[in-house]
Amino acid sequence: MLKPKSMTRAVIVGHKEVMDETVDTLHDINIFHIEEYNEEDSTFKIGKPFENAGEVSKKLVQLRSISSFLGIKPKEVPKQDTNVLWAELDEKLARLESELDEKTEKKNSYETRLKELDSLQKELEPFVSIPIDLKNYRGYESLSVFAGTVKGDISSEISGITNDYELEFDPNTHTIALFVRKDKEEIVAEMLADYEFREIRVPNMEGTPSEIIADIESERNTINEKITSLEKSISDIKERYSDFILASDEILSIESQKSEAPLKIATSEHTFVIDGWVPSDEYNRMTRTLESSTNGRVFVSKQEVTEEEEEEVPVEYNNAGIIKPFETIMNLYARPKYKEIDPTALIFISFPLFYGMILGDIGYALILLGLAFGVKKLFNSDAIKPLMNILIYCQVSTLIFGILYGEFLGFPLASLHGAHGIEPGLIAGFETINLFQSPIGGEMITYPIHRTHLVMTLIVLTALIGVAHINLGYILGFINEKKKHGFNAAMLEKGSWIVVEIGIVLAVLGYVGYLPIAVGAAIFVIGFIMLTKGEGIKGPIELPGLLSNSLSYTRLIAVGLSSIYIASTVNLIAFEMIWPQGGIAAVFAILVFIFGHALNTALSIIAPGLHALRLQYVEFFTKFYEGGGKKYSPFGYIRKYTEE
Amino acid sequence: MVGEEAIMDPAGLKAIGAGLAVGLTGLASGIAEKDIGAAAIGAMAENEGLFGKGLILTVIPETIVIFGLVVALLIS
Repeated sequence: MLKPKSMTRAVIVGHKEVMDETVDTLHDINIFHIEEYNEEDSTFKIGKPFENAGEVSKKLVQLRSISSFLGIKPKEVPKQDTNVLWAELDEKLARLESELDEKTEKKNSYETRLKELDSLQKELEPFVSIPIDLKNYRGYESLSVFAGTVKGDISSEISGITNDYELEFDPNTHTIALFVRKDKEEIVAEMLADYEFREIRVPNMEGTPSEIIADIESERNTINEKITSLEKSISDIKERYSDFILASDEILSIESQKSEAPLKIATSEHTFVIDGWVPSDEYNRMTRTLESSTNGRVFVSKQEVTEEEEEEVPVEYNNAGIIKPFETIMNLYARPKYKEIDPTALIFISFPLFYGMILGDIGYALILLGLAFGVKKLFNSDAIKPLMNILIYCQVSTLIFGILYGEFLGFPLASLHGAHGIEPGLIAGFETINLFQSPIGGEMITYPIHRTHLVMTLIVLTALIGVAHINLGYILGFINEKKKHGFNAAMLEKGSWIVVEIGIVLAVLGYVGYLPIAVGAAIFVIGFIMLTKGEGIKGPIELPGLLSNSLSYTRLIAVGLSSIYIASTVNLIAFEMIWPQGGIAAVFAILVFIFGHALNTALSIIAPGLHALRLQYVEFFTKFYEGGGKKYSPFGYIRKYTEE
Repeated sequence: MVGEEAIMDPAGLKAIGAGLAVGLTGLASGIAEKDIGAAAIGAMAENEGLFGKGLILTVIPETIVIFGLVVALLIS
């Protein structure tokens, strides 16, 4: 807790003959973070991939393209034996591919035919209501044929030119089929030009358009049926092979990682050197395993870590399981550096605390708790799980604060005797108990705490929480700085802030009359000088930030109140404005109630979540946290679908 | 009588003041956040790891409206 895992730099040296076994063993134990070898001016060269690398990656590419084509998703399946898998991999992969190829080829040809039919139908559509066989449009010596669209009825015009004509006109699409003698062609063409005649190509086919279209329809139906059955058989293939694809993707990925490992390793003609990091408590296990698997033919040694190398140490969190989900919040910001305090455990406390303080409502806590468990169960994904766990922690805190505040979906649970008479609570007979007078604003502290009636007190209280949280940040910053640059630097950079604060507090006490103001002022000036020395001009500039940072914590009450007001407005509209009208209005009232609270539930994740997060990131982290550590990613693979 | 009617209700003035405090600061936060937000999204599109920093920078002006809200609570 509070510190990343301790790492040891280890160098593994051996003869090339045992490189294969070494890489295998390292991959299996999955704890060694390989530091990639950089070839620049050195007698050592980067190693060559093992012989099978090409073939393995070829198969992997083949398999993955099939997998993405079929849309295979990760899922829970019984683990398969790797030996069996390897034995049948080639044959099964070939069979899968040929089966799939055959099906997709057929499907493609059908789809092309469908497209052809579509375009043919489009060509025929203008002629559909003209009952002339398509073959009658062409092949005349003394007749001219005009087929196309015009802007209006031309029958009167044409009869003015000639009597020997045959006209078909579709008034809907303005399509004409006009047959005239050849010698009249030019005059007719001129006349048609006035009517904005646009020629349409007549498809070179036989039969009337409507007949052909009917044929097309029936052919299309058959093809669609065939495609559906092909799709079904492809999804059958997916069903049958998905376990195999998932498992063999895994063994191939593992094999490909192993075979490409030499690319990270320094090699000479006969030896290899693997440089990297291992968690200190695993060092002995790694050494023992390596020695036994290679019959003691590799040599493992610890290396001293110099100060410059500290930047390169990969960082692995070292938190108890219950705190782990909050590492997601850390990663969103930045992974801690190796020598830095890892504040995950502190966030584990303060994030749900702030969230609960803001929301503090039994009703929403229960709804969101159910939602979080539901989502966790429904989506079994590694990305969503920690987020849902965080949400669950937050809701537990919300529930506790909800009981403290006595709120349920914006309704107060207890009745309150106030200046405006008695405000009834949701639970009959549950009376608010007066505890004592608050020193601020003359407000009465009660149980349950009615936030709407304690605004002044809570604003001051939340600002004080802010001061405490910020000072915790300065203390952590002090520890970090002391580790890095010694006590003096830490005192000037971080301690000075605390001195300044003490000065301000004493000055305020002096103002009230407890002690001379000069004491506070003097301490403030000392702190100010220290700050300027420690942080330079940046320090005094950031000084007012102290005020705005601690006032920023008043959001703990302000955002909470806005959520209460939204909820109670929904309740007001539903049960005091609509409900009393009776009849159908009752249904409407319930709809408003459900919709309003659904909206506020969504807001209840976003608003308190973001604000609690921001208080960590902006107000807290800026006091001590740097981040930017390298991720510890051990050479290995976590098997999900296979076992040896 | 005319003079009496012309005096505004103090409670109403308080409500107007509270409304202005929240409304104007809300607008101010929005104006300040819009550019930062757009830039943060742009940065995230390049590098998803910048989410945390982007979020922080985006919500910094949020404090303005929180102060407005606090002032409104103090007024009413």
